Amino acid sequence: MEWNWTFAFAILPHLLEGAKTTILATFLGFLIAIVLGLAMALGRRSQQPWIARAVGLCADFIRGTPLLVQLYVLFFVLPNMGVVLSPLVAGVIGLGLHNATYIAEVYRAGIESISRGQWEASKACNLGISQTWRHIIIPQAIPPMIPALANYLIAMFKETPLLSAITVYEIMGEALGAASRTYRYLEPVTMVGVFFLIISLVCAYFARVIEERVRIHQ
Amino acid sequence: MTNPIIRIKNISKSFGAVRVLDGLSIDVMPKERLALIGPSGSGKTTILRILMTLERINDGHIEIDGEQLYHMQRAGQLVPADEKHLAKARQKIGMVFQHFNLFPHKSVIDNITLAPIVTKGVAKPKAEKRAMELLDMVGLADKARSMPSALSGGQKQRVAIARALALQPEIMLFDEVTSALDPELVEEVLSVLWQLSTETDMTMLLVTHEMGFAHDFAHRVLFFDRGKIVEEGKPDDIFRQPKHERTQAFLKKILAAGHRI
Repeated sequence: MEWNWTFAFAILPHLLEGAKTTILATFLGFLIAIVLGLAMALGRRSQQPWIARAVGLCADFIRGTPLLVQLYVLFFVLPNMGVVLSPLVAGVIGLGLHNATYIAEVYRAGIESISRGQWEASKACNLGISQTWRHIIIPQAIPPMIPALANYLIAMFKETPLLSAITVYEIMGEALGAASRTYRYLEPVTMVGVFFLIISLVCAYFARVIEERVRIHQ
Repeated sequence: MTNPIIRIKNISKSFGAVRVLDGLSIDVMPKERLALIGPSGSGKTTILRILMTLERINDGHIEIDGEQLYHMQRAGQLVPADEKHLAKARQKIGMVFQHFNLFPHKSVIDNITLAPIVTKGVAKPKAEKRAMELLDMVGLADKARSMPSALSGGQKQRVAIARALALQPEIMLFDEVTSALDPELVEEVLSVLWQLSTETDMTMLLVTHEMGFAHDFAHRVLFFDRGKIVEEGKPDDIFRQPKHERTQAFLKKILAAGHRI
């Protein structure tokens, strides 16, 4: 099979349309993951043992099952219980929830890397618990987390093709659509691969820049 | 007759099986400066940490300004203090740590203004004005916008002192504040403490291995060993004529190590 430029250009608009959805799903999912992940990380450190345990069990359960299964549950099973989600919403929630459980561990490691002296100085400065979190712990814990968070962003981005399983027309879905109409897989699949490669490299670059900025700022 | 500002009654503290404080009682009068000396592990740092509520006590009572620290009245009964009670009690106390514990992500001036702004609602310009006065006092006005990482150990510690003073505590706790410093930086921190002792009348508790400074600084010296006060008295008496043999042995060892009195 030879590379066919005409075909490649013909499907490009479809793929770009799909790429928009891919990027949208990734960023919305990431937003959910970093917010929910923080909530989970804090929940696991709760003084109330039952909160810490419940959050831990939920996280283990979500981490222990495949994202694809979770997407099927969100999109195909929940409607049986009266919860109907659009494909994109179900996909974003699945992606965000699944990765929140991993990102929670990134937060946990970042929080635990803050020395006890910082907590004690906060206490000596009379800061309350929430003030200590807000002004002392979180601002210090975030910068070293940036590389790990960026890795998760890139990983999530590369997970979005799973969303095609629940009829989200992201880039892989569009590519497969084009392929099944023409039985040509070389161009669509290669182009999808190149797209992911470019975006991943760009993300990694920006993550490095942000990390350096934040470190210099400190 | 004034009442003690700190009244420590028969407190005990264990870490696991190790009993670091054993039925200890101390009264500290307002404006009094106390030096706590003794070998490492004798419990002197633990007392400061307990007063700052960084450690809980296993037994006994502490009163600050006549108010219970670790207990509170509830329905006519004395019950363990909750976080709110502790937070209120902490307002009267400031602490400076051996390892400075500055907030590394905040500039020098922000380290000092954070707590007044956040905990007392002081307006930022007012807090910064006060911070500059304090920095001026510790000789670091030119470092206000520096980050802590750009400072020497002695400078960090002076900022830490300014930070603690910004909350205007009645009682200041100094926990081996020069122990982590290079020898040539010790003097600049001690001179700030000296200045505090001459210019303010705060109650101060100083845990130190600088015997010469303790002698000049303190009104009263307590010698600790194994969680108990072995000997206490005026600096001249403790340093020139220690009565207890453990005090004598400790001071001899310290002097042999090159510390001056």
